[in-house]
Amino acid sequence: MAELLDLSVDLGRGLRLRSPVMVASGTFGYGFDAPLVDRTALGAIVTKGTTPTARDGNAPTRIAETASGLLNAIGLQNPGVDQVARLYAPVWAQWDVPVIVNVAGDAVEDYIAVARRLDSTAGVAGMELNISCPNVANGLQFGLDPRMAAHVTASVRAVTRLPLLVKLTPNVTDIVAVGRAVEDAGADGVSAINTYVGMAIDVHRRRPVLSGESGGLSGPAIKPLALHAVWQLAAALSIPVVGIGGIMTAADALEFLLAGAAAVQLGTVNYVRPQAVREIRDGIAAYLEEHDLRALGALPIRPVRVEAHV
Amino acid sequence: MSVAIGLAVVVERSTPMRGAVELVVHHPPAAAAVKPGQFFQLAVAAPQTILRRPYSAAWADPQSGRIGFIFNVVGAGSGWLAVRHEGHELDLLGPLGRGFDLDRTGPAIIVAGGLGVAVFPGVVRALVGRGRHVTVLLGARTSAQLLPADRFPGAEVMTATDDGSAGYHGSVVDLLASARGEGPEIFSCGPTSMLQALVERTRRLEVPLRSIQVSLESPMGCGVGTCLGCAIPRPGSGYLLTCLDGPCLAADRINWDRITDTFHG
Repeated sequence: MAELLDLSVDLGRGLRLRSPVMVASGTFGYGFDAPLVDRTALGAIVTKGTTPTARDGNAPTRIAETASGLLNAIGLQNPGVDQVARLYAPVWAQWDVPVIVNVAGDAVEDYIAVARRLDSTAGVAGMELNISCPNVANGLQFGLDPRMAAHVTASVRAVTRLPLLVKLTPNVTDIVAVGRAVEDAGADGVSAINTYVGMAIDVHRRRPVLSGESGGLSGPAIKPLALHAVWQLAAALSIPVVGIGGIMTAADALEFLLAGAAAVQLGTVNYVRPQAVREIRDGIAAYLEEHDLRALGALPIRPVRVEAHV
Repeated sequence: MSVAIGLAVVVERSTPMRGAVELVVHHPPAAAAVKPGQFFQLAVAAPQTILRRPYSAAWADPQSGRIGFIFNVVGAGSGWLAVRHEGHELDLLGPLGRGFDLDRTGPAIIVAGGLGVAVFPGVVRALVGRGRHVTVLLGARTSAQLLPADRFPGAEVMTATDDGSAGYHGSVVDLLASARGEGPEIFSCGPTSMLQALVERTRRLEVPLRSIQVSLESPMGCGVGTCLGCAIPRPGSGYLLTCLDGPCLAADRINWDRITDTFHG
């Protein structure tokens, strides 16, 4: 029965997913080190953040568990875009799941360099810009400022015809303003959200747990925050919103879809339950069947607003 | 890689030494697949925890389909595991990582500090089974925290305690000089400071680093190489991953000056 359901999602510019369940950048490597994952249940893979040249990443300690959450400060360890394009992309071209490369850098030129290299590479289905990186020129993250976010988006848009998602940081006062700016600059969709900045302190050693002091918080601890960001963005933007943040179950994923997300990405849960992609995809399908909906597109997105008490 | 995920039934729970718990689980495919030194990611359901916990198998017996895990109770995850009993189910992912290379010849010395001993019952059994002469050097704060010597049949066991309540009064690393045979191979696991002391001592004893294998512990996310959380500095620049390149690896592959102390034992 489930196979008669249409779970496909159109993210625009020819990027069509057979399921709304993607895996988030940094939680799935480049798709090669994930035993037990059923690729046929996947809508798309988003790779580790990729920079123009290889990076070693941060010194340990890089991760720390916190209450219902996970802090990480990996430091963009990656082999560089050349290896990705030469060694990995040809393998992806044989897979029946689209692979979206997450692009990172310290300067606009870095993003442009990676995008140019990937634009003509078979096996790369799209790009997701990680604009949470600090800009070396002024130390600020591109994603903190609507004008800088728009500038990096437009610069990459100018050198690629591939589908282009922009992954928004939630560490801003007004995420909708940044979302509108990247939409106007030519993004095909936004991924929301990246991790929240946080930290943990080791009381025995009396120092921050992470070598980089702060890190990005993911996991169920941030789900309500992420959901609210997606709710706001979906109301304000006309491009698709891909919902990310602490999704552990099909019910969590459905919350994001009902808030207006076109698709979702799973992150931290991949570490705990390698089969979560399949479980959550099947859970969404079961929900649709239960409610006599034949297609994901028939899901009534954005539930009717509850009238506030006067 | 024959990584599996599945439920294993706890068939035995005991206290092998003070502060530690040993859980024996029944899972024939995993017991047949695991090599000495490899680990499993155990799911825990303690409130507010997220990640699986990496634990080296203490031993495994393919005939009975059993695997033993020995751990200290140090936090929410191990606290939850410590109250599992016969009949409970454990969700395990593995075996993962690289175990010890046991295929050389000649005498072998085990240097185990604190809970570092937890990985060695199966290692010693395998070494003895290969006809190698094995000396086990066990160190702990006090005698009650020493794993009993009868867990290492066929091996010579020497002990050291910080408080002098059993064996040599001092560091287990000091026992090395008296245990040396001709060109021994050393296997070690324990606190980072002990491993660093061992590396320093063996330099003086002119034991080459490549003849030392260590089992490392580090905070771990996925256990399969995707999260890049469990970095170990390597000589020069860059990092290895505990989960893929280790947890057991030759000491000459590690940068001992840049390593971080994250041992929980």
